[in-house]
Amino acid sequence: MDIGSIISIIVTSLMAMVPIVLTSVGAVWSERAGVVSIGYEGVLLMSAFFGAIVAELTGSGVMGLLGGIATGIVFGMLHGVLTVYLKGNHVIPGIGINLLALGVVPFGILAYWGTAGQHQVTVTLWSWQTKYGKISPMIPVTIAIAIITWWVLFKTPLGLRVRAVGENPEAADALGINVEKYRFWSTVYGHALAGLGGAYMSVAWLGVVQKAMSAGRGFIALANMVFSGWNPLVALIGGWLFGFFDALATWLAPLHIVPGQFILMLPYIMTLIIVAGIIGKARPPKWDGRPYKRE
Amino acid sequence: MKEVPIIEMKGIVKVYPDGTKALKGVDFSVKQGEIHGLLGENGAGKTTLMKILSGMLHPTEGKIYVRGKEVRFKSPADALANGIGMVHQHFTLVEVFDALHNIILGMEGHGLLSKINVDKAREKLKKLMEDLNFRVPLDVPVEDLPVGVQQRIEILKMLFRDVDVLILDEPTAVLTPIEVEELFAVLRKLKAEGKTIIFISHKLNEVMELTDRVTVLRKGEVVGTVKTSEATPQLLARMMVGRDVVLRIQKPPKEPGEPILRIENLWVKGDRGEDAVKDLAFEVRAGEIFGIAGVEGNGQTELIEAITGLRRPEKGRIILNDRDITGRPPKELYDAGMAHIPEDRTRMGLILDMTVTENAILGLQWRKEFQRWVGTVDWGKAKRHTEMLINEFEIVAPGVDAPVKSLSGGNQQKLIVAREVSKKPVLIIASQPTRGVDVASTEYIRNYLVKLRNEGKAVLLVSADLDEILQLSDRMGIMYEGEFMGIVKPEEVTTEEIGMMMGGIKYEELNK
Repeated sequence: MDIGSIISIIVTSLMAMVPIVLTSVGAVWSERAGVVSIGYEGVLLMSAFFGAIVAELTGSGVMGLLGGIATGIVFGMLHGVLTVYLKGNHVIPGIGINLLALGVVPFGILAYWGTAGQHQVTVTLWSWQTKYGKISPMIPVTIAIAIITWWVLFKTPLGLRVRAVGENPEAADALGINVEKYRFWSTVYGHALAGLGGAYMSVAWLGVVQKAMSAGRGFIALANMVFSGWNPLVALIGGWLFGFFDALATWLAPLHIVPGQFILMLPYIMTLIIVAGIIGKARPPKWDGRPYKRE
Repeated sequence: MKEVPIIEMKGIVKVYPDGTKALKGVDFSVKQGEIHGLLGENGAGKTTLMKILSGMLHPTEGKIYVRGKEVRFKSPADALANGIGMVHQHFTLVEVFDALHNIILGMEGHGLLSKINVDKAREKLKKLMEDLNFRVPLDVPVEDLPVGVQQRIEILKMLFRDVDVLILDEPTAVLTPIEVEELFAVLRKLKAEGKTIIFISHKLNEVMELTDRVTVLRKGEVVGTVKTSEATPQLLARMMVGRDVVLRIQKPPKEPGEPILRIENLWVKGDRGEDAVKDLAFEVRAGEIFGIAGVEGNGQTELIEAITGLRRPEKGRIILNDRDITGRPPKELYDAGMAHIPEDRTRMGLILDMTVTENAILGLQWRKEFQRWVGTVDWGKAKRHTEMLINEFEIVAPGVDAPVKSLSGGNQQKLIVAREVSKKPVLIIASQPTRGVDVASTEYIRNYLVKLRNEGKAVLLVSADLDEILQLSDRMGIMYEGEFMGIVKPEEVTTEEIGMMMGGIKYEELNK
């Protein structure tokens, strides 16, 4: 392996890291406030689709990313209303969102662009083309989001309240903190970040919309969140590890050393092994996934 | 001119969503600067009334006036803004935060997105602690602090918010006698500073010692308000219960037999990996009630879980009838003659949404007597068995098919006792058997435990209620941080000596 390949693997890994990290960081925030969602997979897929539509309609990649965020916000609000205000189960809406995406996206691609299963996006976000591959401005943005989210979560009154609401909503309530408001907007923020990650996939990174392009990243992001110990900075590193093995697999695939199926499994398995091995057993927020009712 | 009371509640009615009428038109008023006792049995509505005053609950009907002005509290924030703060019986602390962050939560004092600055808060707290001679470590996660300290943090949390009216819900339940004295001293100091204190309790002597006036609640209604100086414990007891209370337990002397349960050098870890039980050794003999006294959270729960097979001990042996049962699963232990009345009946003892019958045979359903030949439950037999238990134990239930949650706390507890005794055990482990149970059922359950002892069974009793331990036990161990400070006979020691042991002084060291 020459130095050029190594650089190119690193560049590719940073590109691949973005959706995982954004989703993980969003999920960390939402679960720190006590709201579990397993719907990120579906949000990634749908915001990839809607983000591409917005990009093409407006002729702007940035608008495409905003479209993805808007998609995330819509589903975050839906999930928030069901779980926070109506005190519903936290897992079921996610199943619904994931199943919805499996229907909406393939149908949408066919209905909107008239192609089956795949569409080449015509308007994409600007990126820096190098001989090692393209580098998106979304890489530093993602790193910044992870760091800022960590800082806000652990250093500011807002973060203190969010964590209190996820650990012991009764304590927060007794001190006059509006538990429902904090939980709701935390859920929205979590899904909005996933929405950004989804739009990034179609508008900035791959340049296509495919019917199954989320490829389990929403679930990997959840695993990464758990193994990070609900810490955005560790989730950033975990997400990059996934990207690294994703890139390595892409690099290994044409060499035909081992069967292709095993290579495709590589990023998923290695991320889990390494992050689980390093972090070990973390304790989730105490009221994670439990609705809070006063009476 | 008549003085305007700082708090006045008029005609408060509270109906819970499930239809329970917790308060039936309560009038309650508190004077500025007094310590006002709120006395009543479990379920009398004390906590509900105060949760309404602190904004946690909304009254169904009724009006609240603060300093003569009508208020409507939508949330605890509104009550705090009016200078009313409550320390709940179950602490509302974020366990992973330290005291400082628990206290400043919601009052960080600057923009939501700027870096938290704790210097000012630390200064203010230091001064508060200095004034009250009331110290807590500010930088240790509260989950690593003993309950007595956690309670101080709760009180500081309210004082930090400059409340004028401090409500304390059964604050002494988790404290040693020495800590109770310290708490009372602080409350008196607060009173001297002009604060108003509402003190919820069901303990007569505490109310007599601390308060200026007492309001007694019974079944959601006010029985009356009296000046403490004009009251006697007998009067208050009669107001509280509605009849003369004689909790008399008949306990003839009895020579204990062979050891049934032997604990040898037992070590058990708690949930957070700490040593909750440290090298404990004792035995419970046939025809004996062995009591374990101590402030809650000193390893009693972990000890009982280890004995009943719910938690794996680290080291040591548990021997039942000469058989090593260490780390065996619960079903095997029941087969070997153990019965368990767990400390939390709604969480471990019963399945509230299931029927009386289903609950009555929980854990017995696989026994031949309740099965048809194909291995299904014979519900006819189960119902007849349940009816028999209901008659024998005088359980008041709407019927064998009613959900168990429709029974009162006392009757739920009697059902558990009935079920466990119907296993024909040789060893009964009773954990907090009368907690949250009305007086009549308490009397019944206590007498029943004595009856079991008289029949030659071994009884291991754990209770936070010291009177219960003293009344029932033949021998008792006083537990402190996972160890026995002494194993004594109740008649050999004074209450003060027990109090010292509960606070961590060994029996041998007491008389030096």
